[in-house]
Amino acid sequence: MKDNLYCIPIGPQHPALKEPINFTVTLDGDIIVDADLRLGYNHRGIEKACEERNFVQCIYLTERICGICSHSHATNFTLAVEELLNLEVPKRAQYIRMLIGELERIHSHYLWLGVAAHEAGFDTLFMYTWRDREIVMDMLEQISGNRVNYGINKIGGVRRDIPKEYIPEFLSGLDKLEERTLEYIKVAGSEETFVVRLKNVGTVPHNEAQNMCLVGPMGRACGLPCDVRKIDPYLSYDEVAFDMIVEQDGDVMAQAKVRLKETIESIKICRYILQNLPDTPLALEKVPRKVPAGEVVARYEAPRGEDIHYVKSNGTTNPERVKVRAPTLANWLGVLYGLRGAQLADIPLSGAGIDPCISCTERIGIYRKRKDSIEYIDWDWLREYGIEWYKKHKKVVR
Amino acid sequence: MAVNIEMLLGEIEKKWGGKYTKQRDRRFFLEINKDNLQSVVSFLKENGLYHLSTITGVDSGEQFEVLYHLDLQGEIITIRVPISKDNPQLSTITNLIPGAVLYEREVQDILGIKFLGHPDPRRLILPDDWPEGVYPLRKDWKYDRASGIIK
Repeated sequence: MKDNLYCIPIGPQHPALKEPINFTVTLDGDIIVDADLRLGYNHRGIEKACEERNFVQCIYLTERICGICSHSHATNFTLAVEELLNLEVPKRAQYIRMLIGELERIHSHYLWLGVAAHEAGFDTLFMYTWRDREIVMDMLEQISGNRVNYGINKIGGVRRDIPKEYIPEFLSGLDKLEERTLEYIKVAGSEETFVVRLKNVGTVPHNEAQNMCLVGPMGRACGLPCDVRKIDPYLSYDEVAFDMIVEQDGDVMAQAKVRLKETIESIKICRYILQNLPDTPLALEKVPRKVPAGEVVARYEAPRGEDIHYVKSNGTTNPERVKVRAPTLANWLGVLYGLRGAQLADIPLSGAGIDPCISCTERIGIYRKRKDSIEYIDWDWLREYGIEWYKKHKKVVR
Repeated sequence: MAVNIEMLLGEIEKKWGGKYTKQRDRRFFLEINKDNLQSVVSFLKENGLYHLSTITGVDSGEQFEVLYHLDLQGEIITIRVPISKDNPQLSTITNLIPGAVLYEREVQDILGIKFLGHPDPRRLILPDDWPEGVYPLRKDWKYDRASGIIK
């Protein structure tokens, strides 16, 4: 390495990171010459674990791939299994799945705006967005009893209904959210300090975005028309009117615009669903436990982008293979590209730009113990240490 | 102008052999020989299939299968490439689709399939101290959890 270059590891544990990931950046002064990443600090072996569980258990397992877009993974998996079983799911169930999906998108985009504002040093906006996010979190809690992991899906339908008396309340909540979102579009687009901080950060040109196969709001910020709800409609998205938001600039500002405008579209979809809930049963009465042999590729537009599941069945109650590709994995290449040539201080913003969800990205790999290791702390050592510590500090803990 | 996927796939069948099936609307499967992978992918890319959704590795018992899920404005072609277990390697497609870099590394980690000519074949997701030659998603691999008894 040349004398004037510095190589700095950031993560997996670092004050600027919220989840474990490792970036190695090569710096020339304050300018990033090269960036590299290492994943795997949060792998839980979910794909392998799916093979040892039955299809019903897998719904709940896939729901736990991610905390924010839990409904996306569970719905996508359920859709895949339903396609293998050749089931026609009742309309009301499809609409309720869509409603939860869109409410999830609203809360995820609000969360992103808060995080981006925080990384840009605009903490007032962060506080306001997270306050307003509670409106949608309360709705989700009212429907499902949970703020995350809603547990709505089952094979052949949904588990919870939307009672009539909730609807006026939800509609007024949506009105409030729409008003606030329009306000944030105005603030984020006109507040000069915020705009200057986000403009030209982490820029990815259109053709590079195409080559790197970027997805979701990041892809759409680079001008790729890649909204799965529009191009490959699932559930009943072909019956609802909404626009695909595409921007051309490819920087974090464009991503903010895409997400904010998408929130408005999501509110429109929710409103349509609440006003037009079909009157059908919630789920099919009988669903076979054994799934016929076959394979399915299912796609879902999660808040962070295209989520793709490949499910293969061998005719038993357990899947033969489940493959999950969460949107964040597809977008890392774009982040690394945007970092090259940027300043060190842009790392949190560029990273936050794709709304990274590291747990989503990581599913395989199991902790392995190692003897006489100096660099690594293994599980046994950690456990012994924990037991010893609690013995010594009994009084402190109680 | 909309590209007719079935015409493309028919052309591939004629030129490079293989077989395609239409599963339902917007879902196509195409099985090809691993020697033709480069030519088929570059042919598809010339016709607008630049988006690779992901690469799936499957251990189907006697052989491995590598599945490339390519997207054309909502229609997915899944290219299935069977490879033998004795010699699990095939050529990379990162020269054609740079977005495949991480996906190929993931498949290499978990199934031990080598992608010849990959620009950066380091480990991506397995721990640094994971033993060489152990691939967790192969069917013959089982994980024995260390018994965790708290005294």
